[in-house]
Amino acid sequence: MEDIKINKTTEDDGVIFMSVKKESEKEVDAKKDGDVTILAIESSCDETAVAIVRNGRTVLSNIISSQIALHTVYGGVVPEIASRKHIEKIDYCIKAALEEAALTFDDIDAIAVTYGPGLVGALLVGVSEAKALAFALNKPLIGVHHIEGHISANFIENKELEPPFVCLVASGGHSHLVVVKDYGEYEIIGQTRDDAAGEAFDKVARAIGLGYPGGPKIDKAAREGNPDAIEFPKTKIEGAQYDFSFSGLKSAVLNYINGAEMKGEPINQADLAASFQKNVVDVLAGHAIDAVKKYGYKKLAIAGGVASNTALRERLEKDCADNGISFYRPSPVLCTDNAAMIGTAAYYEYLKGVRSGLDLNAVPNLPLGDRERRYHANR
Amino acid sequence: MKILAIDTSGLVATVAVADGDVLVSQFSIQFKTTHSQILVPMLDAIQSNIGPFMNTIDAIAIAKGPGSFTGLRIGAATAKGLCLALDKPLIPVPTVDALAYNLYGTEKIICPMMDARRSQVYTGLYTFVPTSSEGTMEQKFTMKTIESQTVLGIEEIADKINEIGKPVVLLGDGIPVYHDKLEKLLKVPFSVANLNQNRQSAAAVAALAMTIYEEGGAISGMEFAPDYLRQSQAEREGGSADGGKKKLPKRPGVIRIREIRAEDITEAAELEKKCLGAEAWTEKQLLEAQARDDTVYVVAEKTGKIVGLCGVRNVSGDGEITNVSVSETCRNEGIGYKMLKQLIERGRGIGITAYTLEVRAQNAPAIRLYEKLGFKSEGVRPNFYENPTDDAAIYWRKEQ
Repeated sequence: MEDIKINKTTEDDGVIFMSVKKESEKEVDAKKDGDVTILAIESSCDETAVAIVRNGRTVLSNIISSQIALHTVYGGVVPEIASRKHIEKIDYCIKAALEEAALTFDDIDAIAVTYGPGLVGALLVGVSEAKALAFALNKPLIGVHHIEGHISANFIENKELEPPFVCLVASGGHSHLVVVKDYGEYEIIGQTRDDAAGEAFDKVARAIGLGYPGGPKIDKAAREGNPDAIEFPKTKIEGAQYDFSFSGLKSAVLNYINGAEMKGEPINQADLAASFQKNVVDVLAGHAIDAVKKYGYKKLAIAGGVASNTALRERLEKDCADNGISFYRPSPVLCTDNAAMIGTAAYYEYLKGVRSGLDLNAVPNLPLGDRERRYHANR
Repeated sequence: MKILAIDTSGLVATVAVADGDVLVSQFSIQFKTTHSQILVPMLDAIQSNIGPFMNTIDAIAIAKGPGSFTGLRIGAATAKGLCLALDKPLIPVPTVDALAYNLYGTEKIICPMMDARRSQVYTGLYTFVPTSSEGTMEQKFTMKTIESQTVLGIEEIADKINEIGKPVVLLGDGIPVYHDKLEKLLKVPFSVANLNQNRQSAAAVAALAMTIYEEGGAISGMEFAPDYLRQSQAEREGGSADGGKKKLPKRPGVIRIREIRAEDITEAAELEKKCLGAEAWTEKQLLEAQARDDTVYVVAEKTGKIVGLCGVRNVSGDGEITNVSVSETCRNEGIGYKMLKQLIERGRGIGITAYTLEVRAQNAPAIRLYEKLGFKSEGVRPNFYENPTDDAAIYWRKEQ
C-alpha cells in the first residue's frame, strides 16, 4: 500500500483536486466477460468524490475534490457551502474519473452512490446526479451506506481479506465496533453514547487552539508531547462492554484548561494533545482487541477518518501482533471520504442483486446494518 | 427544437417535453413527496408513455434559480447528470422569468413572487409587448423585463409596483404567504393568477428556453451551478465566533448595481464628498452629467442605501471614467469591481470602445482594481492632484 500516488492541484476557489492512483495497478488488464465495472459517487460531507472500480477490488480511477480549506475558517463543515461546491464540482469529477480510467459510460455496468448517513443537502447532489445517470444510461443504480463504504475500503488494498472480521469504525460522525459477518452483513456490537471519536478530536483541538480539522492537528502536536503527562478519566459503560463515550473526556480536558488558566499556569499544548490522544487510543484499541478475542475471528480492520491517526495505527499494530491477530488498515487517503470504497461496497451489493429504485432518496441518519430496504426497490 | 425542461425551484416539481410548438408531455406534482424522490420517476413515467425520448431531445432546460437552495440543487444535479450522460447542452432559465412566462401575452404588469422567507420574496417585474405583426394570426409577444429577478422585501417590491402605477397580476407561492400585507400595500388595481397559471410550470421553462437558446444561451452542463441570489447563512454572518483565528472579510448583503436615477443624486453627491473630498462634484454637476445622452452613471445599492457610484462619458468613442466612489464601510466587498464591470458593459451600448481614467499614483487599492479590470498604465501627469500633492496615473483599457 506504499505505492499510492496522489496528484494534487489547488483550484482558484481553494478546493483541492486529487487523483489517487496505485502505481502497481497502472496497467490494468482489458475488460473480460463477467467483469463488473462500477462508477461510484460520494458527496456526503465536504468531499466530492468519483471513482471507477472493477470487480470490487481494482480501482481504475479515484478522484477526490476536497473543500476542507473552505470550511476551516468556520471551524467545521458548513452544509450549505459544501452542497454548493458539490454541484459545481461533480461533473468535472465524473469526467476526470472516466478519463483517468480511459473508459466511457458504455463500459460502466452500474452507478453507485452514497445515500446516507451524512449532510442531507450534500448527499442529495450525489444521489440526484447518480439517478440521472442511471436513468439516462439505462444502468442499474445501487445506493450505498457511507460507513459500509468505509469498512469496504479495507478490501481495496488487502486482496486476501474476507469476512468475517471485526471492524473499528471511527470518524468525525461515527464510532462503531462492527462485526462484518459476510459481505454486506453487519452487526453493531458497540457504539458511542455521545460524541464520536473524531468529534472529540475536533472539539479538543479547538479548545487548545489548534483549530480545524482537529484529527491531523492533534496527531501532529502529540508527537512532540508526553502522553503520560496528564491522566484523564476513562468512561466505562455499565452493561455495554463495547460502547464508547467521549464527552466525559472532552469535559475533563476543558476543566483541565480552565483550572490551569485560573491558576495562571501555562498549558503545554503538546502534552495535553498527547495525553488526550492516548486516552482515546486506549479506549478504541482496548475495545477492539477485546471484541476480536471474544468473537475469535483473529482479524481486525479499521475504517474512517480517525483510522488514519498514527498513534491508533501504531498501537493496534502492536496489540494485534502481540495477540496473533491479523491487522488491516487502508492507506490514509482511503480512510478519508472517497468513492472507491463506495464502488467496492456496491460491487458486493451488485452481486447479491441489490438494486435501488429511481426514487432513491438521501437518508441523513441511515442506520448501519438494518438498512431500510424499501429504498432498494427492484427496478 | 425539442426540449426537456425541469423546474424544482419551489413547491412544485415539474417536467415537460416540448417539440417546437407542441407540448408533448408535462408532469407536475405539488404534494408531500420530496423532489428528490419524485423527479426522476416522473421522467421515467413520461418515458413509459411516450417511449424512449431522451436521445431525441436537443437540449435540457433548467430553472436555474432563485428558489429553495436544496430544490434548485436536486434539479441542477439531475439536469447535469442527464446532459453529461447524453452529451446534450443545458439551457439555464431564470426561475422568476419563467414564472412570468406563464402569463404570455398579458399587457399588464406581471409580478411573480416566490417566498424567500425572512419577509422577502424572489421577484421581478415583467410585461408583454406585441411584436410587429399585430392584429394578424402571426402576432407574437416579447417579454419585457422591467425589473430583473432579485430578492426584495415585500414592502420594497410593493413600492416598485406602486411607482409604475399600472394594473398588476400577481402569481407564485409568495402570494398566499404575503396576501394580507400585499392587500394593504398595493395602491394599484391587482389580481392574482388562476391555478392553471400561478405556479412553476416546466412548459413555460421550455417555451422561454427556446428563446434563450436562439439568443445563444445554451451552455455545457459541466459548468452550470444554480443562481441562488443569496449567500449561505454562514457566509452572510461571516464565520462562527469560535471558528479559528482567521476572520472572513465582512460579506456583502445583496448588492445591486443599477443605473442612477434622479432621486439618487443627493445621496450620491454625499457619498462623493466623503470619498473624494475637495475633488467631489456638487449635486448640480452630477445631476447635469447623468442627464446627458453621452454619459452612463451606475450606482451600487445595498440594503436600500447608495454605497457606490461611477460614471463614464463618451468622447468620440473614448470613455472617460469619472466619479468612482465606494462607501468606506463597504470596501473590500468587490463593489468597485462589479460597478465598473457593469459600467463598461453599459458603455458599449453608447458606442464606447476604449476607456480611460486618472487615479492618484499613491492609491494602490484603486490601481489594483483597475488592473484587475484590464486597465494598463499609459502615462503620468506630474503633481496633478493637490492636498496631498500626487501624480495622476493615466490608465487605458482598449477593447480587443
